[in-house]
Amino acid sequence: MLKQTYLIFQKEFCSFFRTRLAYFILGIYLFLSMFCTFYLGLYFDVVNANLFSFFYFQVNILMLLIPALTMRLWADEYKTGSIELLLTQPLSCTALVIGKFLSAWGICLLLLVGTIPLWFFTSRFLTTDNLNILGSYFGCFLISGCMCAVGCMVSAFNKSPIVAYLASVLLLILIIVVNYNFVFDALNFPGSLIIRFTQSLNFFYHQSTVLNGQVGLDNIIYYISITVFALWLNRITIEYKRG
Amino acid sequence: MITVKNLSKDFGAIKALQNINFTISPGDIVALLGPNGAGKSTLMRLLSGYLEPTGGEIEISGRTYASHRMQILPEIGYVPESAPLYGEMTVFEFLKFMSAVRNLPTSQTSTRIAEVSEQFELSGVLNQKCETLSKGFKRRVAIAGVLTASPRILILDEPTEGLDPNQKYGIRNFFKEYARKNIVIISTHIMEEVTSLSSRVLLLNKGKLIKDTTAAHLSELSPDNNLETAFRSITNKDK
Repeated sequence: MLKQTYLIFQKEFCSFFRTRLAYFILGIYLFLSMFCTFYLGLYFDVVNANLFSFFYFQVNILMLLIPALTMRLWADEYKTGSIELLLTQPLSCTALVIGKFLSAWGICLLLLVGTIPLWFFTSRFLTTDNLNILGSYFGCFLISGCMCAVGCMVSAFNKSPIVAYLASVLLLILIIVVNYNFVFDALNFPGSLIIRFTQSLNFFYHQSTVLNGQVGLDNIIYYISITVFALWLNRITIEYKRG
Repeated sequence: MITVKNLSKDFGAIKALQNINFTISPGDIVALLGPNGAGKSTLMRLLSGYLEPTGGEIEISGRTYASHRMQILPEIGYVPESAPLYGEMTVFEFLKFMSAVRNLPTSQTSTRIAEVSEQFELSGVLNQKCETLSKGFKRRVAIAGVLTASPRILILDEPTEGLDPNQKYGIRNFFKEYARKNIVIISTHIMEEVTSLSSRVLLLNKGKLIKDTTAAHLSELSPDNNLETAFRSITNKDK
């Protein structure tokens, strides 16, 4: 199982570089991140000890770019017919799903690592809160994992990568950007425990704490749960299509 | 040995295959014949484990996909009609990937790739990207890919489509040689191929197996002892 997962990871990860998609996404990501940090985030006007100007825009940038990474992972297999080749090899469906997901998540790690020079740059002028920044990076990595899993799942539903991209962005907007607090407030549940429970399901609530570098166990469990759930749906979709 | 019992496959309301039964033993080259939409590709997809049947079962060496999928799949080499490859990979990378997923030991990979490359005349294109290959080369690379781990059952959907006459001749000879110890199942519309290659013919029409015979016996069903005439008269009878 591990060997199978590694083979698929290796194939897909290398494929991002063979098709030059990885370089393209990395370039756009760095440009957007720096543009948002320095121009929209008023980098030089606010105290950036925890790189707030940078992390504030990360979710929105990743939300637009990660679907571009994941859109072809399954959709292309169905479009070209190579899915028949892949699913008739001695590879478990779980290994395929995890291998493809990890390849996209691996690229996300590279994207985030590519912004580390900004941290060094900032630390030359300010006393940076390094632990906080590290926490924010970890939070971004977890969020990117969620987005990759959702993107992979949507890609498995489609034959067209463009449709997969648009559907992934739309789904991520619905999950991430919309603050569902108003729904929970309107429901007006009695009891603080229920309020806390419904709040804990809200992506917006977790996102704000994680991007401030305060990653807690509840945040980690939340993001891992979403990731695992999306990957499980991905696997079910692939198996359903075979049936 | 392949044993197919009461196999059926539905796609919604469409009954693609109905109650198919047959047995294939090593040494057989089986040609699946039938008009378009008869269910040949569906049957191949079921035999290769890509699709799951709606009813009935397929036994490969006494094991079924439902209980022993991961043990059966290394024994199967399936090349779909479109002979799909990963366009961004070079031929060598593709063959290496296929060797790895088919659990060929790393120590044997280079030797085996060299063997199949020579067999299918791919040595000159090993460093070429798959997307730049001609249709004939793509098909040969796809066949070479599944053959890296020498599967005991080879299932090929229209394997000689896009090949020139010399390549067709070469590949047919290879199948004859390969089927001495293994099972080869091909789907084709080329009657000449059925006559020259197959030891058995399974004729499908409208999702049903209507003949399980040899090419010679099938030809005898027509007044002029011609396979194509026999095929036309049998498959048109139901219209």
